[in-house]
Amino acid sequence: MPELEAVDLVHVYRESGVRALDGVSLRIEAGERVAIVGQNGSGKTTLVRHLNGLLRPTSGRVAIDGIDASALTVAQLAARVGLVFQDPDRQIFAGTVRGEVEFGPRNLGRRGGEVRSAVQRALEATGLVGEERTNPYDLGQSRRKLLAVASVLAMDTGVLVLDEPTTGQDARGVERIRAVIERVAAEGRTVIAISHDMRFVAEGFRRVIVMREGRVTLDGPPTEVFDADAWEGLRATYLEPPLAARIGHRLGLGSTPTDGALVDALRRRNAPERA
Amino acid sequence: MAGRSGLSEAAGSGRGIPSSLGAPGPTAYHRLNPLTKATIATATAVAAVVLGGLIGPAVVVGLGVLLPGALAGVLIRLVRTALLFALPLAASAFLVNLFFFPEGRTVLFEVGPITATAEGLAFALEILARILAIGGAVTLFYLTTPPATFVVDLERRGVSPRLAFVANASVQTVPALVERAAQITAAQRARGLDTEGSIRKRVRGILPIVGPVILGSIAEVEERTMALEARGFTRPGRRTLLWAPADSGAERAARWVLLIAVVALVAARLTGVWA
Amino acid sequence: MTVRLHGVGYRYAGAERPALLDVELDLGDGEVVGVAGASEAGKTTLCLVVAGIAPRTIGGRIRGTITIDGERVDDWPMHRLGGRVGIGFQNPTSQLSQVAGTVFEEVAFGPMNLGIARDEIVDRTWAALEALRIGALAERDPRRLSGGQQQLVAMAGLLAMRPAHLVLDEPTAQLDPAGTQLVAGAIERLAAGGASILVTEQKTDLLAAVADRVVVLDAGRMALAGPTADVLADERLRGLGVTEPALVRLRRLAGEAGLDRAPMERAAGA
Repeated sequence: MPELEAVDLVHVYRESGVRALDGVSLRIEAGERVAIVGQNGSGKTTLVRHLNGLLRPTSGRVAIDGIDASALTVAQLAARVGLVFQDPDRQIFAGTVRGEVEFGPRNLGRRGGEVRSAVQRALEATGLVGEERTNPYDLGQSRRKLLAVASVLAMDTGVLVLDEPTTGQDARGVERIRAVIERVAAEGRTVIAISHDMRFVAEGFRRVIVMREGRVTLDGPPTEVFDADAWEGLRATYLEPPLAARIGHRLGLGSTPTDGALVDALRRRNAPERA
Repeated sequence: MAGRSGLSEAAGSGRGIPSSLGAPGPTAYHRLNPLTKATIATATAVAAVVLGGLIGPAVVVGLGVLLPGALAGVLIRLVRTALLFALPLAASAFLVNLFFFPEGRTVLFEVGPITATAEGLAFALEILARILAIGGAVTLFYLTTPPATFVVDLERRGVSPRLAFVANASVQTVPALVERAAQITAAQRARGLDTEGSIRKRVRGILPIVGPVILGSIAEVEERTMALEARGFTRPGRRTLLWAPADSGAERAARWVLLIAVVALVAARLTGVWA
Repeated sequence: MTVRLHGVGYRYAGAERPALLDVELDLGDGEVVGVAGASEAGKTTLCLVVAGIAPRTIGGRIRGTITIDGERVDDWPMHRLGGRVGIGFQNPTSQLSQVAGTVFEEVAFGPMNLGIARDEIVDRTWAALEALRIGALAERDPRRLSGGQQQLVAMAGLLAMRPAHLVLDEPTAQLDPAGTQLVAGAIERLAAGGASILVTEQKTDLLAAVADRVVVLDAGRMALAGPTADVLADERLRGLGVTEPALVRLRRLAGEAGLDRAPMERAAGA
């Protein structure tokens, strides 16, 4: 049974009349690692907000674990789908890191030792152990973002959605996010990330969904989505395929979306008998 | 840049200010100087309050609100908006006086234990007329005078630019705050905050929403202040205005006439010359 | 006009440790200097110090000397410095004055505050809009533009003040790819036109494209400084928490795998 499913999902914002989603149908299985890319206004954020009920379909259907999402409240869906927003400062309110991370699990009705262990694990994953009593605004901007991630990690949801997790992060921050995603995926949880860092996407995700004007235009593994045949579609959404993909194409090495793939392809070409 | 091509030599395009700047309004009434329109509104409101009986205020409403409103082509919006805002106050004032007028003797009808009197009705109508007059005068001003235009006029007349800025910026802040609060609410709901439950739950939900609104606004104010200062905002003295609403001798005279008339009216009323 | 920082250090008000130490920096006419470094390494602080906001607007303690064309600027008030050094921030909306109904008035805001004659303000505003190719946006409401467009409006607002130098603090950090392309293009054109720019960025690819020199900060100190190509290929970059430009990383990985890098270089240059 698919973990997440959208069927002919349409969403029109009432105040502006904008048709943000124009018939999206998707299935995401449990444990998948999916990246959603596309320029602002393509419908990425609108789509993921349907996964936890913040937005309801104008028409079409969203199902979580087979249950129609419209039968569940946002608070109920929050127990299954955790959504980390892009701007941590639009969420952080507690005076301590611990208070902030506890908020989610406590809202879900957990208490005592269960909460403590969830908080501990979340802090470990995001490198914030030792900062339990720190005021969030004494952490730098970059670490506050990790705090926002920790606060949703602690909810132990089956699905984790990250909206632009690497924006504004330095190299270490990006590494940290990558490690969090690996860890969560290793636990069998589903991870969905909206990102416009193509290298991050190519290297960390098995499936890339490209959106444009409320529709899905490409959906497949990085080798397919960053293959030369797809470039025109990508460029139409102002996205550039990673440098490795472009070089690999020019050298006639096929689809090499990541640095590692390019290096491997070069190695194989230089030593074909060892293939 | 100093000493570099392209920028230090002014483009000298011979272009002027874009035509839509300080756009004069669609009708002659719109194009009146803001101070004139403000004087009309004030005179209307004061006259309506000071004149006794029902005929007086009614005439004032006709001359000071409805006639200019028709000239400005905003009559329908004017009536709708004025009623919308004045109605709660007007309705309660009307009902209170209708039923509970202390000098009411002539009974009109009864509703359970309370009695409507003719004297009460007369007084209630007078109160209603005055509330509508004041509401109408203010609404007319608001509908025909963009706040920015009013503030620029004041600045041209000597109000400090920094004060003028604050007046303008305050008006703009509300929609931004509302939007911010909405985003924060969404983020907290995604963490299980129940905004639809019991009163107790909703009260507990206040801090996670109000906190970031305030903290975030403060953080933004800091950056805003730096940007403003770097653009010369704190330079003492006046600044150059690109445009200002026109004024004329005729309007100035008209303002004085209105002012004198209103003062005379008030004096006559106070000294009992005219009831 | 040269801005020179000599032995400059800065500590925020109430902070235990200095955010900047021993900074030596020259920003001359027509140069583009890129600043890279991990988060909290001092990039933003450096921008605030060069622009004079630190310490004038935000307090704190500053050490060392800052001179403009040899003259010390210690007692220059903020509005005087603002006319020489313009600073842009990463958040596109917080730089808007919020009181301008049109892009034209937004860009003219700075010169208006300086009390410059009206005709000259109009000329400068059009010149700034044209330098950034946003003349078509003149009558639009700045609050309704995309993040990238707002950044360009903010930059135009700075240019209208005819600063000798521009300081840009991570101008593309909060922008989507379309916005990043807009701003990167604008920076390239300004640089090509001879502007003096100090720009901090995590996107080292951008610095590789526009900067003449790059400085890398580490915990408030200058760790690396020199010509762009040299600094961005330095093997210490990763240790300092700076993302390598894409090509540099590929070169390194290819080198580690013992591969001939020539074909890759040619393909990249193509």
